[in-house]
Amino acid sequence: MFDKILVANRGEIALRVIRAAREMGIHTVAVHSTADADAMHVRMADESVCIGPPSSSESYLSIPAIIAACEVTGAQAIHPGYGFLSENANFVQIVEDHGLTFIGPTAEHIRVMGDKITAKDTMKALGVPCVPGSDGGVPTLDEARRLGGEIGYPVIIKATAGGGGRGMKVAETAADMEKAFMTARSESKAAFGNDEVYIEKYLQKPRHIEIQVFGDGKGRAVHLGERDCSLQRRHQKVLEEAPGPCITEEERARIGKICAEAVAAINYTGAGTIEFLYEDGEFYFIEMNTRLQVEHPVTEAIFGVDLVQEQIRVAEGHPMSFTQEDLVINGHAIEVRINAEKLPDFAPRPGRITQFHAPGGLGVRIDSALYDGYTIPPYYDSLIGKLIVHGRDRNAALTRLSRALGELIVDGVDTTVPLFHALLQEPDIQSGNYNIHWLEKWLATNLQG
Amino acid sequence: MSNKTHDSDVTFIKALAELLNENDLTELQVKREYGDHDALSVRVSRKQEVINHVTAPAPGPAALPSPTAPASGPVATGGASGDASATDDPASHPGAVTSPMVGTIYMQAEPGAPSFVSVGDKVAEGDTLLIVEAMKTMNHIPAPRGGTVKRILVEDGAAVEYGAPLMIIE
Repeated sequence: MFDKILVANRGEIALRVIRAAREMGIHTVAVHSTADADAMHVRMADESVCIGPPSSSESYLSIPAIIAACEVTGAQAIHPGYGFLSENANFVQIVEDHGLTFIGPTAEHIRVMGDKITAKDTMKALGVPCVPGSDGGVPTLDEARRLGGEIGYPVIIKATAGGGGRGMKVAETAADMEKAFMTARSESKAAFGNDEVYIEKYLQKPRHIEIQVFGDGKGRAVHLGERDCSLQRRHQKVLEEAPGPCITEEERARIGKICAEAVAAINYTGAGTIEFLYEDGEFYFIEMNTRLQVEHPVTEAIFGVDLVQEQIRVAEGHPMSFTQEDLVINGHAIEVRINAEKLPDFAPRPGRITQFHAPGGLGVRIDSALYDGYTIPPYYDSLIGKLIVHGRDRNAALTRLSRALGELIVDGVDTTVPLFHALLQEPDIQSGNYNIHWLEKWLATNLQG
Repeated sequence: MSNKTHDSDVTFIKALAELLNENDLTELQVKREYGDHDALSVRVSRKQEVINHVTAPAPGPAALPSPTAPASGPVATGGASGDASATDDPASHPGAVTSPMVGTIYMQAEPGAPSFVSVGDKVAEGDTLLIVEAMKTMNHIPAPRGGTVKRILVEDGAAVEYGAPLMIIE
């Protein structure tokens, strides 16, 4: 059992961990930079240690400072939150070498999943579906045609040496293959001096569906369904919901079982997320995040579990508090990310919060480190809060989101709240009919920069 | 980067450095795309002087519980950081030497050895004042300037935060 844990993070996620620990009777140590001396996580923790100047690289990312903070306070374990050092295998190794416990997976799991190619190979071997493709260079047109037929059109031909769209062509049908293949090769040659290309299935309107998994490190693991995080701007998630509006119970059970078995097979410890692109009933592995996700509260809402407490419990060597059979979905949850950013260009807006009022009532949760008079420092992420609503079904959740957004007051800085008011008016959002391109397109026509 | 753009790049970086200073930023990162495979990536950063931001969580020099007695009490309880009295804050003293890192204080090179410095000693710039140990590494803290050791604010074995006042040298 831990008596004291150190939270190696800041903002809302540091509060999230402190709250979980406090309910378990565990003391907490907050670490902070000089810019965060007045931050809420410092106020809320039992102890705090200033670990460095504002720059993250010298504070929240400084491994020696965080280890030293553990040593001087006697904390036995470190919760990394998300971001910062949460997926740094070297850090995990150092934590373990100092006789401390990292609340998360092993360094080896982080290393394997942190490398795109190793991660894909590992997942493929574990039976997790990946984007079908050529597994390397395709030397001839005949070979390309054969692969096109095997994978199924449309396919995309990409330069092995490439990036940034050069040497990248889509073949919609078999008839397009010759032109697409030859063009991709000559573009690759011209752009990169190398005409090797590979072929993959081309997904046109995929959704981002991710599966929450949880393992005990001893070969047992469960899944906690999916989250749909398709609403993204520049690969940043904006709104997440669970369950996914387009995922059937059968699909959930099938992909969930595959994911749970995969993480069980590698003795994975703690919370993890396996991200997929989803199109026409098929899932295609993108990557695995070996940490707690920003959007974990929507999963907590529909399953009635505390994922952070579960992480701590498993890190202490205890079994998980639930089995797969215990995990039954109840209702629908939606999270919106409230950033201190000015629309339409989403420019960061640090500054002083003159008034903060959190919404309340049934099914409303707000995870935020804001308070009246708080000054958002300019050095870190612009996420200032997450509003999570839970209702008996998707419509109830949408209505509740609209109501809660109306109650929320954040004065003094610009926020992304107006974006969510506008999105809730959209028929596609109301019906759940969106994909990973939807928000970018909507922004381009509705919020001219 | 081609030679042609070299001079303008230098001007650009100088402008960034000025921007950093004018706006009191610590870090600035910019990428300029000149064309395919011709880009300039610049990261300008500096260490901030932060002495006046330091929290003085508890009265007395030992800001943190000793590592040998970790349960001796909270470092800074909720809310205490906001209203630390500025009047008697050694960290804001012009002669204050502050800790560059979190760690444990050692006043001498090894157990039994004499202390590096005592109150009243004259020190030259660069003389070791004490050691801050972090992650088993002994970091010698040098005098930032010459002068006389007026006060020693920490004890052997005490834990310090980043920015905690260690000594006053005048």
